[in-house]
Amino acid sequence: MKFLKPFLAVTVALGLTGCGHNSAPTHDSSGTDATPPQTKLAIAIDPLTLALLPQAGDSHTDKEIRRYQEMARKGGNRDIPVERLGWLFVAKARTSFDPGYYKQAAACGDVLEADSPGCSESLLLRGYVFENLHRFKEAEPLAREVVAQRGLSFDFGLLGDSLMEQGRLDEAVGAYQHMVDLRPDLQSYARISYIRWLKGQTEGAIQMMEAAVDASSQNDPDSAAWVSTRLALLEYQSGRQEEAHHAIEGALLIRPNYPPALLLSGRMLLAEDKAGEAVAALQAAAKANPLPEYQWVLAEGLRAADRESEAAAVEARLRVTGAVNDPRTFALYLATRGEDTATAVRLAEAEMQQRQDFFTQDALAWALTAAGRVQEALPHMRLALAGGTEDGRLFFHAAVIAHGAGQDGEYQKWFNRTASCVQTLLPSERKQFLELAKEFPPAAKPGGQTPPANDLTAANLDSSK
Amino acid sequence: MKTKRQTLQVLAAGLAATCVAGTAMASSHMDAPLITLDPAANTCDVYAFVSAGTNGEQYLTTALTVYPFEEPGIGPNAYNFDPNVLYQIHVSLGDDVAAGTPTFSYQFQFNTTYKDKKTILVSYLGVIQNVGDANQNLTQTYTVTKVDHRRGARPAITWLGSGMVPPNNQGIATPLYNQGNDGNNPAQDGVASAGQLDTYTSESITKLESGYVAFCGQRDDGFYGDINAVFDLLQLRNPGKDVQAGFNVHAIVLNIPLSELGGAHQIAGVYATTSRHSVRVLSTLPENQLSPDFDGPWVQVGRQGNPLFCEALVGIADKDRYNETSPSQDEALFKKYALTPELCQLLNAIVFQSNVAPESNRTDIAGIFIPDLIKVDLSTGPCRLAGGGTNDVADPDDAGFSRLGIFGGDVLTSTVQAGFGGGTVPGGWPNGRRFGDDVIDIAVTALSSDLRVSPPIIHGPYGDNVDTNDMAYNKVFPYESTPQNGRNHMHAP
Repeated sequence: MKFLKPFLAVTVALGLTGCGHNSAPTHDSSGTDATPPQTKLAIAIDPLTLALLPQAGDSHTDKEIRRYQEMARKGGNRDIPVERLGWLFVAKARTSFDPGYYKQAAACGDVLEADSPGCSESLLLRGYVFENLHRFKEAEPLAREVVAQRGLSFDFGLLGDSLMEQGRLDEAVGAYQHMVDLRPDLQSYARISYIRWLKGQTEGAIQMMEAAVDASSQNDPDSAAWVSTRLALLEYQSGRQEEAHHAIEGALLIRPNYPPALLLSGRMLLAEDKAGEAVAALQAAAKANPLPEYQWVLAEGLRAADRESEAAAVEARLRVTGAVNDPRTFALYLATRGEDTATAVRLAEAEMQQRQDFFTQDALAWALTAAGRVQEALPHMRLALAGGTEDGRLFFHAAVIAHGAGQDGEYQKWFNRTASCVQTLLPSERKQFLELAKEFPPAAKPGGQTPPANDLTAANLDSSK
Repeated sequence: MKTKRQTLQVLAAGLAATCVAGTAMASSHMDAPLITLDPAANTCDVYAFVSAGTNGEQYLTTALTVYPFEEPGIGPNAYNFDPNVLYQIHVSLGDDVAAGTPTFSYQFQFNTTYKDKKTILVSYLGVIQNVGDANQNLTQTYTVTKVDHRRGARPAITWLGSGMVPPNNQGIATPLYNQGNDGNNPAQDGVASAGQLDTYTSESITKLESGYVAFCGQRDDGFYGDINAVFDLLQLRNPGKDVQAGFNVHAIVLNIPLSELGGAHQIAGVYATTSRHSVRVLSTLPENQLSPDFDGPWVQVGRQGNPLFCEALVGIADKDRYNETSPSQDEALFKKYALTPELCQLLNAIVFQSNVAPESNRTDIAGIFIPDLIKVDLSTGPCRLAGGGTNDVADPDDAGFSRLGIFGGDVLTSTVQAGFGGGTVPGGWPNGRRFGDDVIDIAVTALSSDLRVSPPIIHGPYGDNVDTNDMAYNKVFPYESTPQNGRNHMHAP
């Protein structure tokens, strides 16, 4: 790398979070980056021209983009400003939620590649763009090449991320081990925390995320706020509400109105039956972040606060944008709502072409279940649970699917696991679970007597309305 | 000869080019990119000088500061030593100095406990009267171990003792740091005798085994310089503004008896490192036995020797590598930057417009920085110390002290080297580094001059128009000034 490591470090840290379960790309909640989305390019254009398109906006990132564009226009050695520009576009994409900026970042990578074919700077930049566009299979070879070329810590981070998203956890563990052996810091600790959590080592995940929080810096508030929020989530999932609230406070102290922290705060308030307070937090979060996860939870909050028409309006918007913005989460949403289940299955299947991680397996299983194909869902659900991930939604889905598939032993197991962390479910999910528990309490359920899958699905759909 | 302002403009250009983070730098407050994102492990400055004890004993006083730009008003909870970081001060003796290898390493490891974890009052439960009392909720303790590398691959490790970190200076919760023991007042200024130290500092000075003395805790940042003006389109001011004014750091100060080092008749080298644990990605232990699993090898993430080396001389491409390598590799990796300082080229091209500053074969500069240890002549006896300036009646600078060291006529006499003739060696950096040494001015003057010839050709001295710290230094251990009061801090948070 030339001189982009601070910037890169931020990007690398956030890269982990952009594609993960229960997460979303971080967002500049200050509002200073809230420029209108760029017009998507409809015509082919050469990379340098694309990278140098006029940049509007008054945020620090906008100004930096303009500054480096000017440097790149001046001629001479353009590699350094173009590389810097590429990472600025990645940052801008994250804060504005406009994927058009990834195209400009990719264009910067193409310029670097044209100037110096196979150079590390181009490989890493293009790899991260692919990663953020969920093109994990395309990111992997670039990551492998940059690792072979120089093998810096964040090169291994990119490789680990691409492998993890493809569900190849054992290989990802190896890449992350290289990463942390080269440089133990927030970026490597956060990744280890995440993969430990995926593998069911929740306490170890908390330990690592605490180390990441301790290693955070106010020079990188986004990453600092992110790891605090992740710590809060882990604490919350472990039933330690007080610690979770402390961690959220820490995140919001670093980044007031930080959307991921507000989202989690809202979910926790919903679980505490404080719908009014939850809605305020969720509205602020969803205003800053248009991703389906945020809109879905806001709709749940509004509905819990008896603001049905507002919830419906949020969901109407979600139906328009969800498939584009985050198809996997939108598939889950549709399946949970029992709406357009064919679309849910199609989206989840398409996602499986890109990644086969636990949460994509879960999304497909849940969509198939909603579509009445519970026997097809069962193997995907088992794959989703194979790592031992401690996640209430996974347990809930597993319980429903096992019940529908007539797998009594599994139903008992996942029912109990869901019951142990039911507070982490959304209100509609909790409602479905409680109805399931009422109707089919595992202990009272006669062996082998399970309702048809379609009945169960119908019951779910009714209860989620 | 160009003006002082022009010279600093060039320095600024060089520094600006190296500090991509684009905020500010001090001696090493904003050096290599990655370490700036890890403030608990980010070394700011290292100090090393010969000092005198009260009973005639002499020490090599060493200090490491971390947490650059520690804003006092941000609250007491933000800054503490990180229990996951290994802080080390290394001392090289004999052949180890030239080799850049440590003879002894002094390791500081911290532990954090809370008296009450159910409260939201993280740091203070009430007004603290004594260090560690019932009102100091968050309490850090530390251990000090000495690693003797003379046995090679199996070094001898000696436990020197443990101590307690005093509270951060919040104001009313910590009144005894502040003038009149009133938490509403500014922090107490530097003092000239141990008996005048504030209660918390005094109580935190810990006598260790074998005559070592340690202090670990929050202090005022003793580095000074007008860095904001440098980065503000190079528009320097006269007088300049101490950009570090009002900021604190966390300091580790260790007095090492010269007798522990084999006496005064030698030159020592001092540098510091910070390290973090690598870990096994997936734990092999049960979930209820996790703490021993955080046991991967220590990986060095930060390093500091002389001021300004990584910031002003080492090229961008190598800055992170500097932090991850040992001084023993400096000859191979970084000597080129000292022999041919880019900054000299800039001085000549832009300021002098002629070859005033020697651009190549700077063996004098390489002699200072390669390997990057602060070389301290232990034979000179105690150095002159800074207090609050010559006009500070209660805490005056020692007679003859100059912030410019040898460039200000502040010299010492060595019995182990000829120095600049007759054993004359600098009274401050680059012979050791004292609190109060104006390292920016000394560095620019040295780069502009030619110290390879006898007598040396001196240009300058040049400066940034900031000639003193915003607070008086203590002339007694731990030397670094009292931490600034968070209640009446000068910066907007």
